[in-house]
Amino acid sequence: MSGQEYWNPVLETMPLEKLKVLQFKKFKRILNWAYTRSKFHKALYESAGLTPDDIRTFDDIKKIPKVEKSMMRGIQNKDPFPYGDALCVPLEEVSAFRQTSGTTGQPVYQPDTWQDWEWWSECWSFVLWAQGYRPKDRVFIPFGYNIFVAFWAGHYAAEKLGCEVVPGGVLDTQSRILKIKELNATAMMATPTYVLRMADVAKNKMGIDPGELSINKITCAGEPGAGIPSTKKRMEDAWGAKVYDHSGATEIGAWSYECNKQPCGMHVNEAMFLVEIEDLDTGEIIEEPGRKGKMIITALDRTAQPCIRFDSKDVIEWDSQACSCGRSFRLIKGGVIGRADDITKVKGVLLSPGAIEEVVRSIAGLGDEFEVIVDKQGDIDRIKLKVELMPEVTKLSIENILKDQLRLKTNLGYKIEYYDYGSLPRYEVKAKRFKDLRKKNIEKECRL
Amino acid sequence: MKNFSSLNQVNDKILKIKQLLVELETEAEQFPALSRNSKRALASVKMLELNISDIVAFDLNDS
Repeated sequence: MSGQEYWNPVLETMPLEKLKVLQFKKFKRILNWAYTRSKFHKALYESAGLTPDDIRTFDDIKKIPKVEKSMMRGIQNKDPFPYGDALCVPLEEVSAFRQTSGTTGQPVYQPDTWQDWEWWSECWSFVLWAQGYRPKDRVFIPFGYNIFVAFWAGHYAAEKLGCEVVPGGVLDTQSRILKIKELNATAMMATPTYVLRMADVAKNKMGIDPGELSINKITCAGEPGAGIPSTKKRMEDAWGAKVYDHSGATEIGAWSYECNKQPCGMHVNEAMFLVEIEDLDTGEIIEEPGRKGKMIITALDRTAQPCIRFDSKDVIEWDSQACSCGRSFRLIKGGVIGRADDITKVKGVLLSPGAIEEVVRSIAGLGDEFEVIVDKQGDIDRIKLKVELMPEVTKLSIENILKDQLRLKTNLGYKIEYYDYGSLPRYEVKAKRFKDLRKKNIEKECRL
Repeated sequence: MKNFSSLNQVNDKILKIKQLLVELETEAEQFPALSRNSKRALASVKMLELNISDIVAFDLNDS
């Protein structure tokens, strides 16, 4: 056991059977906590005819009703204002407010106590340590710190590790690049969209090769791009740095991370979270690797507004392979594959927007940006893909390979429109590249 | 891990720190600088408990 390899060498190498015992005991603890302190949770469990005492084995956990984001929206804006009946601590113990981004509807408020913020940064410490962050690192965070949780906990975790943190908050993209250069920053955290955007601005507007800067590792969050091989490769090639994936959410916490072995997937922090994968059609809990389903997750130690069997809508699958890093925390294959909301049927075929991203970014003659628009003509679904040609690349040289790869990876035919490089919208944080116009003319924008 | 005490010994130390901080917090209600800093320190001690004490309390300790 090497103390330098793992943030917590006992928990991260604990045999799975013991981890399950730990998870069960912690699950019972947080369930009791919520049941005795929150009217919302008590009513939810009683409506299913359950009390915490009815949960006697690990298998009993699936009897506990799931919590949907819509349920949280329903109870908020009431007393104790603005959080409502899910709050498990006195209001005066809440020390931080954040809210979800509202990508899928009305934002959800998230109260946290001092202890919860310590927990947030503790979870991120597992992430950053596994990705090679150490006290010698100077970490630049090019993100507009605000009411969204993104990267706040990464900032605090980097401080906890002993890194020097440079908050790149209100600076514009060019100023951020200059600051990285000026300070020789060695690490960075950002969304994949913004990592590519920064590289584009550095190269094409400032004449700076980002690969010549001092960044040697980048942690991505907020979007699945660092788990999409072609997008990861574009980022690593541009910056000459290792790019690592991480997934977390406002209501959940920082629940998974790619380690420095880059195993084409992410470890679930099974000491802090209980992840269950539910079959999208039958609702059955999937135990075996290789079957995709949506994630139901419990944050085992979050107290102010507990996250117990939360229906995250993230689509994941267990990996059959163990990681060479030695962690016993299981891997999810390819990270978060998509969201159950985003995976939609087009012409009767299940389409995951991530599959289109993988194709577009695997073709060197295409730019980073693209857009997908699904609509209907009569009863027939249509799907349009807008892409950018890199300078001096012709449509003829690209068209056949693009169509073939799209057909191969998604089983669908596309109307493809070609644009000059730089003419599609650019995004600073999370991108909105997928538009489904079929439902009552309401544009449903989903993150890719 | 070189020079690492057993988890039980580490846990004993964590519980002692916790006990002292709880005492400081409750004894110093009229002294905000003492009570609030003690309470904040307890939030950090909780992370030591999650990392170590739970393993001992749940009898998952090999060392």
